[in-house]
Amino acid sequence: MRWVRAIVSLVLAAALFWGLDNRHGTFPALGKLLNPFAGFWQNGSRSDAVPENLVVPGLLGEVRVVWDARHVPHIFAQNDHDLYLAQGYVAASLRLWQMEFGSLYTAGRISEVVGPVGLKQDIFTRRFGLPWAAENAVRAFRNDPKTREVVDAFTAGVNAYIRTLDRKGLPVEYKILDYKPQPWTDLKCALLLKAISYSLASYNQDAIMTQARAALGEETLDRLFPFFPPLVPPVIPPETPLDFTPLPVPAREKPAGPALGATGTPSGSLLSDFDAPPSGAFLIPGFRTGPGIGSNNWAVSGKLTRSGFPILCNDMHLELSLPAIWYEIQLSAPGVNVRGVSFPGAPLVIAGYNESVAWGFTNGTDDVLDWYDITFRDDARAEYLHGGEWRKTSIREERIKVRGGATVVDRVIYTGYGPVVRPKDEPSIAPASIPAGAALRWLAHDASDEFSALYALNRAGTYAEYVAALETWDCPSQNIVYADRDGTIAIWHSGKFPLRWKGQGRYVLDGADPRDEWRGWIPHEQVPHVENPERGFVSSANQLPAGPGYPYYVGWDYASFERAARINELLAAARDVTPADMIRMQGDVLDVRARAVLPRLLDILRNETAGETEKKCFEELRAWNFEWRAAQIAPTVFDELWTEIVRSTWRDEKKGKMEWMPGPASEMMVDLIMNSPEAEYFDDRTTAEQETLTEIVKRAFHAAVANIEKRLGRFGEAWKWGGVKDTSLGHLGQIPGFGRKLPEADGVGHVINAIDTNWAPSWRMVVELGPEVRAWGNYPGGQSGNPGSRFYDDFVDDWAVGKPYELVFLKSADEPNPAIVALTVMRGGK
Amino acid sequence: MTAILVLLLAMLALQFLTPFWWWIMIVPFAYGAAAARSGWKAFRTGFFAAGLLWLGTSLFLYLTGSGIIATRMARMFGLGRSWLMIAATALIAAVAAGVSGYAGYSVRALVKKPAK
Repeated sequence: MRWVRAIVSLVLAAALFWGLDNRHGTFPALGKLLNPFAGFWQNGSRSDAVPENLVVPGLLGEVRVVWDARHVPHIFAQNDHDLYLAQGYVAASLRLWQMEFGSLYTAGRISEVVGPVGLKQDIFTRRFGLPWAAENAVRAFRNDPKTREVVDAFTAGVNAYIRTLDRKGLPVEYKILDYKPQPWTDLKCALLLKAISYSLASYNQDAIMTQARAALGEETLDRLFPFFPPLVPPVIPPETPLDFTPLPVPAREKPAGPALGATGTPSGSLLSDFDAPPSGAFLIPGFRTGPGIGSNNWAVSGKLTRSGFPILCNDMHLELSLPAIWYEIQLSAPGVNVRGVSFPGAPLVIAGYNESVAWGFTNGTDDVLDWYDITFRDDARAEYLHGGEWRKTSIREERIKVRGGATVVDRVIYTGYGPVVRPKDEPSIAPASIPAGAALRWLAHDASDEFSALYALNRAGTYAEYVAALETWDCPSQNIVYADRDGTIAIWHSGKFPLRWKGQGRYVLDGADPRDEWRGWIPHEQVPHVENPERGFVSSANQLPAGPGYPYYVGWDYASFERAARINELLAAARDVTPADMIRMQGDVLDVRARAVLPRLLDILRNETAGETEKKCFEELRAWNFEWRAAQIAPTVFDELWTEIVRSTWRDEKKGKMEWMPGPASEMMVDLIMNSPEAEYFDDRTTAEQETLTEIVKRAFHAAVANIEKRLGRFGEAWKWGGVKDTSLGHLGQIPGFGRKLPEADGVGHVINAIDTNWAPSWRMVVELGPEVRAWGNYPGGQSGNPGSRFYDDFVDDWAVGKPYELVFLKSADEPNPAIVALTVMRGGK
Repeated sequence: MTAILVLLLAMLALQFLTPFWWWIMIVPFAYGAAAARSGWKAFRTGFFAAGLLWLGTSLFLYLTGSGIIATRMARMFGLGRSWLMIAATALIAAVAAGVSGYAGYSVRALVKKPAK
C-alpha cells in the first residue's frame, strides 16, 4: 500500500514537474512562464524607467542618451563607433525579440523556434535564396571600411545588451516560446535588408502572365496591361528634359510566342502544375509581399509654401504589426545630427532629416526579378543548357534545424542565374507566382551595400551629396524624395536596373538563350529623376516612374493611378502651404476612382433598384462625397459594387486555367467604363446575349447588395466601413491578445490615407526645412517592443485619427527642452 | 503554520537568487521527505506556502506595473479578466507544491513508520 502510494504520488509529481517545465505544441511551459520571479510578471512597465548610468563594454568615450516623453532616444556620441554601438544597445533594449525574430525568419530558421509548423516557410525562404543574398551582402559590407565600422559597432552594441539579460529580463515572447536570444551578427543586419527587398522587390506575376499569354496572346495582354496606362501621371513629369545621353538598349531579337527553350517546351506545360497559394502558410507581418504595398511622398517648393522654405512629406505603407516596424531615433556625433525612423535591426536612420536636408521613400515597384526556364540534361540536374552548351549546376545544402524534430536537409540547385526555387517534380511549397522548374534571377541576390547609401544620406548637406549618396542604393528601388533648406526639391527613382528591352522579364524567359539575360546596367545618373520642376512640387505613389520619353524599360506592374492623381491634383492647387495643410493632406481619404465612375454607374442604376435595401444602398451612393470614412456605409457598398463589376467583367475571360490571371489595373477599368461602355470585355461569353456595361453594372449592383446582406445582415450599423474593413494590428509572432483592432480608422489602400485592413501608413512624416527645421510624425505602435509597456502601442490612437507629434530634434545633449524626461550616461567598461 | 512560513521564506530566497521556478516543487518535496508529520500536512504546507508566495508576489507585481502584461496574457490564454492570471499563478504553484510535498512524505513513509 505504501509502495503504491509512493509510486503514484511520485509519478504525479514528476508529471507535474515535466508538464510545467516544457512546451506542449504551441502551449507554453507554464511553470517558467507564470513564475513571478522570472516569468511574464517581470515584463511590466517598470522596465520603462531608463537607467541613469550604464556600463557598455566597447564604448571608447562617453555617450549621452536623452529620452523624450514619447520614449524616443536622442543619442549623442563623440565618434561614429560609439554612436552606432549605442544605437545597437538602445535598439536591442527596445526591440530585441522583434529584431531577432525577423532575422531568424529571413534566415529560414523559424523552425528552430516554433518547430515543424515553420518548416514549409523555412524551406521556401531558403529556396528563394534569402540567406544566400544576405551572405553576399555581408561580403560587400566588409569590403567597405565605413559600412564595416557602422555594422560592427551596431552588432557589438546589440550583443552588449544581450549579455546584460538574465532570464527575468528577457522579452516576454522568449518566455512564451521558451527560447533564448543568440548573439547578433553582421549577417543579421544583412538579413534585415534582404527581408525588405523580399517585401518590396519580389512581387511578380511572370508565371501567371506567361500562362495568360499562352491563352490570350501577347497583343491582348499589351492592351490589357499597357506599359503606359491611361490616367497615371508618371513620377517624373513627362515634360522633364533628359540631362544625359542614353546608352543603346538591347533589342528584342526573337518573336514573342508561347514556345520557349531549345527543347521547344511550350510554356503551358511548364506551368501546368499550377497550384493556389498554400493556405495557412506561416507568414509573419512585414514579410508578406503583395500588390497592396504602397506609399506616398512629396516635397513642395518654397514658392508654394507660407514660410518660403520647402516642406517634405512621406508616409510609407507597410504591413501593420505590433511591435511596429519602425522606431524613432536621433543620432548625433561629430559630422552628423540626424533624426527620423529606423528598423530596429539596422544601424543608421532610414527615413528622416538632418539640419540641412530631409528625405523619404516610396517603393519603386520595378521589375528586378525574372524567371528563366531551365532545360536540364537529365534527372540528375547536374547540367543545364545555355547557349548551346551544357553548364554545371551547383548545390547549396540547406540544413534546417527543427525544434523537437530531426534536422531537415534541403539540397537547392543553383544555376548561373540563381536558385531553382521549385523543381518541376515537387509539390508546390511556394505561392503561385513561382513557376516550376525555373531559375530565379533577382537583383537582391547580388552583393550590395545599401547601408553606405544611408550613411551618406544621414550626413548629406546638399543636393549633390544626396545624389552621390544614392549611388550605392541598389535594391529595393525607391522613389527617394528630397528637400533642403537652400530651397531645392527633387525626386530620384533610385536603384540598380538591368538594361533590357521593353517588356523583358514580363514573361518567363528562356534560360538556354543568352540573349534573354540581363546585359549591363542603367548608369546611376540616368535613372528617372527630376530636380526643381517648373510645377513647384515632386511626388510619388508607387506609380509608373517615367513616361514614354524616358529611354529605358524598368518595369510594368506599378500602382494604379488613384493616390498619385489625388496627390498631384491637391498639390497643383496648393498655395501658401503650411505644415498643418500637409498633415491634413496625409489624412485625405477622397477616392478619385469613385469620383470618376460613380455618376455614370448611378445613371445606369437610377431606375434599377428593387426593394428597400437596394434603394437605401443607392441613396447612400448618391449622397456619398467619395470619402472612405469609417462611419459611412457608402464605401462598403461601393467597394462591393466595384469588386462585382470587376469580377463579372473578367470572370469569363479568366475561366478555367486563367483563374489566377491578374486583373487589369483599376485605371483600365475606369477607362473602359468612361470611354468604351460597349467594349467586348463587358460581354459575358457564357451567355447568349451581348452584354454591355449597362447589364454588367445592373447585375453587379444586385449581386453586391445581396453579398453584403448575406455577410453582414440587415442594412444598418454593421455595414459601416470601419467595421467592414476591420483594421487590425496583429502581433508579429501572431500571439493572441498582443495586438489590437481599429474599427474607427478611416481610409483604404488606394486613397492617400491608405489605412487598409492589414496595410497602412507605417510612418507619417512632415518636415519643414529652414534655418530651424521643424518636423511632425507618427506611426502605428510605440517605441517599446514590450507588450507590457506603456510605450508598446501608445501612438496608435492618435495615429488612427491622423494626429502627428512634433518631433523633438536637439542640437546637443544639454539643450533644454520641456519634452525631455530622462538621461542615460553610457561609459565603456572591460 | 510555522512550517508554512519557513517554507515560504526558503522558497522566496531561492527564487529570488535563481531563475528557476521549480524550487516550489523541490522545497516542499524536501520538507515532506524530511520533516512532515503526515501526507496531508505535507500537502497542505506545500500548497499554502507556494500558493501564498506566488499569489503575493504576482499581486504585488500586478499592482506595481504588471497590470498591462497580465491583461494581455489573460487574453492570450482566453481568460476574460486579468486578475485571473493571479489566481492561475497561485493555483498552479499551490497544486504543484502540494503534490510534491505529498510525494516527498510518501517516499519517507517507505523507510519510516508513519507517526501516530
